[in-house]
Amino acid sequence: MKKLARYIIIWWKLTLGTSQIAFQSRFGALLFLLGKLLRYIFFLLFLVLLINRAKIIAGYTFLEIVLFYATFNFLDTLSQFFFRNVYRFRQQILNGYFDNLLLKPLPSLFHPLFGGSDMLDLVILFFATGFIFYAGLHSGQVTPLHIALYILLLLNGFVITLGLHIIILGIGILSTAIDNTVMLYRDLTQMGRLPIEIYQEPLRGLITFVIPVGIMMTYPVRAMLGLLSPTGVIIALFFGVILFLSSLWFWRYALRHYTSASN
Amino acid sequence: MVISVSHLTKYYQVHQKEPGFTGSLKSLFHRKYYDAKAVDDISFTIGEGELVGFIGPNGAGKTTTLKCLTGLLYPTSGRVQVLGYTPFERKHAYLKQISLVMGQKNQLWWDLPAIDSFLLNKEIYQIPTEQYTNTIVELSELLDVQDILQVQVRKLSLGQRMKCELIAALIHRPRILFLDEPTIGLDVMMQQKLREFVRNYNEKYNATVILTSHYMKDVEELCKRVIIIDHGKILYDGALANIVKQYARNKAISVIFEKPVLLEDVKKLGKVVSFEPTKAIISIPRAKSNHVASQLLEHFPVADLNIEEANIEEIIRDVFSKREGLGIKGTQ
Amino acid sequence: MKLYLQVAKNTWDEMTTYRFNFLMWRLRNVLQLLTVYYLWLAVTPQNGHIFGYSRSLILTYILGASLVGSIVFSSRTQEIGENINLGELSQFLVKPLRYLGYWFARDIGDKLFNIIFSLGELTLIYLVLRPAIYLQPHIGEVLLASLAILLAVVMNFFIGTLLGMIAFWSPEVWAPRFIFFTLVSFFAGGLFPLNILPLPVQYVFALLPFGYLQYFPIEIYLGKMSPLAIAQGFGIALLWSVLLYLLVSRVWRKGLKMYSSEGN
Repeated sequence: MKKLARYIIIWWKLTLGTSQIAFQSRFGALLFLLGKLLRYIFFLLFLVLLINRAKIIAGYTFLEIVLFYATFNFLDTLSQFFFRNVYRFRQQILNGYFDNLLLKPLPSLFHPLFGGSDMLDLVILFFATGFIFYAGLHSGQVTPLHIALYILLLLNGFVITLGLHIIILGIGILSTAIDNTVMLYRDLTQMGRLPIEIYQEPLRGLITFVIPVGIMMTYPVRAMLGLLSPTGVIIALFFGVILFLSSLWFWRYALRHYTSASN
Repeated sequence: MVISVSHLTKYYQVHQKEPGFTGSLKSLFHRKYYDAKAVDDISFTIGEGELVGFIGPNGAGKTTTLKCLTGLLYPTSGRVQVLGYTPFERKHAYLKQISLVMGQKNQLWWDLPAIDSFLLNKEIYQIPTEQYTNTIVELSELLDVQDILQVQVRKLSLGQRMKCELIAALIHRPRILFLDEPTIGLDVMMQQKLREFVRNYNEKYNATVILTSHYMKDVEELCKRVIIIDHGKILYDGALANIVKQYARNKAISVIFEKPVLLEDVKKLGKVVSFEPTKAIISIPRAKSNHVASQLLEHFPVADLNIEEANIEEIIRDVFSKREGLGIKGTQ
Repeated sequence: MKLYLQVAKNTWDEMTTYRFNFLMWRLRNVLQLLTVYYLWLAVTPQNGHIFGYSRSLILTYILGASLVGSIVFSSRTQEIGENINLGELSQFLVKPLRYLGYWFARDIGDKLFNIIFSLGELTLIYLVLRPAIYLQPHIGEVLLASLAILLAVVMNFFIGTLLGMIAFWSPEVWAPRFIFFTLVSFFAGGLFPLNILPLPVQYVFALLPFGYLQYFPIEIYLGKMSPLAIAQGFGIALLWSVLLYLLVSRVWRKGLKMYSSEGN
């Protein structure tokens, strides 16, 4: 517990530093925030237009679609907020900064993952949470059990994103040739903005089980709407645990093969 | 023993790629690897409070050795023990007792004042506030950087930044300090200052200091003991003074004459390096130097005479150029 | 002219050097395209219409928008800002070449590379997914659409240049560009045809340049525009091109004064 408190303090300091840097150019920071908000709202408006005409998309009503969209944004922003450093990781390996991080008496994954969050992301997180509440409460009969399952699967989704980010970091250690791995991850997960039912095979299978976008983002909402079987829940949780454990194993493997070839 | 290394080996897998686009396509599926031996079966021990210099040309394996000692790299084989720990396990108790400073790298946050990075390290290393304050005051006074701790790091000069890097590395008073090319790019004055500071730290806290450097001056002034590495192997491990005895075959005698003398006369004594009618430098085999000196005093109008050891840098260069068959262990 | 050909060729070579990054970038494009494609497939009834588009029309629209996007938006002008900020501009000013001409040549090299890949991807998508593609039978529409793409290329180049030249006055070159991209990703028409927007909004966007970068050419190709609307569209796009050109040359002159007075 004491250890955790210490980690939180360090994370907080890193976050303060990062935010301080972001705010050094207030104008730029504000524009970036504005851009992100616009992107969020425009897509929502687009969905409104679409549903107005189509009435239902892949069997879901407007509010249900909003719930999918907000859940995606919540998870996406949450992982961006916490794992912000993953986006800087390649640079840190190239300029040797990672060597310094490895020498600190902290878990080797601490800095690469949590090395400073950007507070501006919280604004989007706030919006997404609001929409989840609104859409969740208004989309039919939602029982406490369904809400509990939703939260459980959302946590599970977060664990999966954590695992995927760890794998991305590991790839970064093994090869610096590819610098867009994390962006590729984002483009794959952005498919989770909408329920994965809209995609057809083989793509649907790919984003359910290979890059588990479906399990991360679609399953929680299905559970909330009472559309997920108990087997589905168990499969999802099983998947989450396995992925997380393998990502840790992969990270250790990568560290052993780290060449620290920055110079 | 603070550090003990036995039969340490580190290979890197390097993959060969055929040129061109088809080459990269091929290498996606089938890659040829070969092992690059960065460190090849080396052994040594280092005691508490020692100040040891690693020397060797680029790519000799100095930095790789340092990185194995600090736990950044996982050794291919061999045993490394530092302070009773295996570095690669990265035990926090171990990491709290060491520090690594790399000349061309920085751990300070570029866009923030140095003091913010110090505060972060305070949390990471769990340093009590009082000790932290004392250390900062002491180190910043010693290095004369009190005024710049509040300045954004990117606005500092290279020298100022290096000083701040040192402070950041020493906040937790490490028992072992690893310095990788710490003076690279600094001007002569600043190099001198850093060397004094490192010696001071070593003496005051009885800290062990391991140093790699291209500048022989760093090593000459700081280290009693040197380890010479080339192609991943140790060529020499022992007192710096002994290298000179062992490898320097010549001494230089410089003389100033009261009145002009003839070049031919001086030439008879040995190899003349430089000559003016009233000044000369002559290179003589070590064994004959005393004899030649007395000859000079006897037969020439000598105003001043000096016998100098050959330049260390030249000796080292000599060692590297003849390294074949020279696996000699020095005596300490 | 030969000089600029060489610049374009160098840009092309540069891209083959960074081909892994480039392939990754294209892969990302495909993923985004697939999302939009499947969304429209899901909302359009098999034999029905949505917003007046049949399934084959809307899918042709989305795939076409992707191709037009690759032609129009692939650009190097984002490097102008850095170029100015880092003082590298001086290197160019002492050489006998036109700075903007240089960047346009780079754009061309970049575009050619992207077009080839975009065509490859679309062929692949077509072969795998087998959508019913609408082929425009009239050569006139195809030619007009090509002309509209040309105008779009020019407009996008000027806008990109303007965004880069912000660097003369401020180091914040990325944030404004990010805003521009955000707007473009919705209102150029890559995600949806602009005529699904409410009418008042449509009127506003008819006057702004965004829609002319992507939506306008494809709509012409699909034959969904009346001759009057086409003429109107060309008029506005031309007007924007001229306006942007005047703006670019003015800002360039002022910026240069600024640059040289700061003694870079």
